[in-house]
Amino acid sequence: MVPTKTAPPRELLTQVAGERQTGALVVGGHPGGAVYIFEGRVIYAESPAAPGVGELLTSSGRLAGRTWQNALDLGTSTARVGRLLVEQGHLTQGELELCVLGSTYDAAYFVLAAEHATVDFLPAATHWLGPVVHIDAAAVLREVRRRVRLLDEIHPNPLIDTAPVIPVTRAPRERVTLTAPQWELLVHADGQRTPADLAQLLGRSGYATIQELRRLAAQGLIELPGVRVPEGPDFVRLAQHRGTSVPVTRPSLKGESPSVPVIKGQTESPRPDAFADPPPGLPPPGLPPPDLPSPGLPPSGLPPPGEHNAGPGNRPRLARRKPGAKLPKEIAAAENPPVHQGTDEVLLKRIRTALRALR
Amino acid sequence: MPGVDHCLQEAMTIPGAVGASIVDYTTGFPVATTGAAPNADHEAAAAGTADVVQAANSRSLFVSAIPHDLLEDLIITTAGGYHLLRIVQTEFDSRLVLYVWLDRVNGNLAVARRKMQRLTDELIAT
Repeated sequence: MVPTKTAPPRELLTQVAGERQTGALVVGGHPGGAVYIFEGRVIYAESPAAPGVGELLTSSGRLAGRTWQNALDLGTSTARVGRLLVEQGHLTQGELELCVLGSTYDAAYFVLAAEHATVDFLPAATHWLGPVVHIDAAAVLREVRRRVRLLDEIHPNPLIDTAPVIPVTRAPRERVTLTAPQWELLVHADGQRTPADLAQLLGRSGYATIQELRRLAAQGLIELPGVRVPEGPDFVRLAQHRGTSVPVTRPSLKGESPSVPVIKGQTESPRPDAFADPPPGLPPPGLPPPDLPSPGLPPSGLPPPGEHNAGPGNRPRLARRKPGAKLPKEIAAAENPPVHQGTDEVLLKRIRTALRALR
Repeated sequence: MPGVDHCLQEAMTIPGAVGASIVDYTTGFPVATTGAAPNADHEAAAAGTADVVQAANSRSLFVSAIPHDLLEDLIITTAGGYHLLRIVQTEFDSRLVLYVWLDRVNGNLAVARRKMQRLTDELIAT
């Protein structure tokens, strides 16, 4: 194994492809990802910023989640997931190839666009999908460079690609024309979702998503991430200024005020200032009373952040059921789950494939 | 099971076919190519193809207001040849178009269009 090093990922890909190696090129950083190489040719790439083959096929409804999971269970160990889906008649070879090609180039952009990143090459590593397509590494690199250029021609602000998408409150023109993908993006942008989240949610390719977002930015329909950062300190200073003129009821307001800097990603720095001039009702800042929570923490009755609600992915924990326990009666009686739904689908698809072969 | 390469081979059996490719029209990238391309440059041809499809799809009168009245074919004729574009409708997100370049003397527009329809249907048979 090549030790982890910081290097241009594209150079290493050229090198291992030139040596006709087999393995996985793992690129760190944000968004990072991996490119899988089989005897010097690229067979697949994946990145958290680009929906993979499974997400594309299931979120579009092309495959039932259960069908995809079955193929994963059966084929992962032998790296034949792709071939299994075709053999079982769920996909045509053409669909599989087009889907893999699309998602490979899509992910390759996110993996290889970075100039410098930590890069690992894991020799002999293969992807569970199995080799479906074989792409020349030089073609992948050329296309990545071209895609970077295309985006800059639309709107040269790479911050748009990673920052949460915030539609503008007021459109800059009387009449706005949107394409269908742009409409989908604006409808689902809630001010929190990043372009990667939107791509996963909508089952759209990651590159197509940021391409549309750059177009929206060029039209002035989403807020530019670069512009929002200087606004941050203004908000914070405003809150502090008000603090000096507002009387004793301030502590409760202070408990709320961190919500402003949290949005701006500056959770720590402004807060000491907020305590620099305490209202007369409070003890001096050097001695925080035991019952007054520090500004970063919620009121003392609640657990600290990180325990439950640290991020969108961490939902509050529910009580665990014992393994093998039955559902409570009222729930079990209420819904009658369809039995063997996936099996029926598999069977029908095989019958259809067989009938088609007879034609 | 016909794959992408098989589809392109079949496209080349269309009478008068000189070259064929499958182009991703969001990026103007040729996903697969075979035969000749105008000016011997498949990538430039793909970029041009993408512009044409984008123009027809988003900025013109041809975009129908009726749901699911989607763009099917684009046919461009020149003095020397026919250029046929057929949208490949996949259920998953991909924006692909099958492009076939026909020689004007040997090519037959109607035959080629029918054949391309069958090829894209077979590629994505659902």
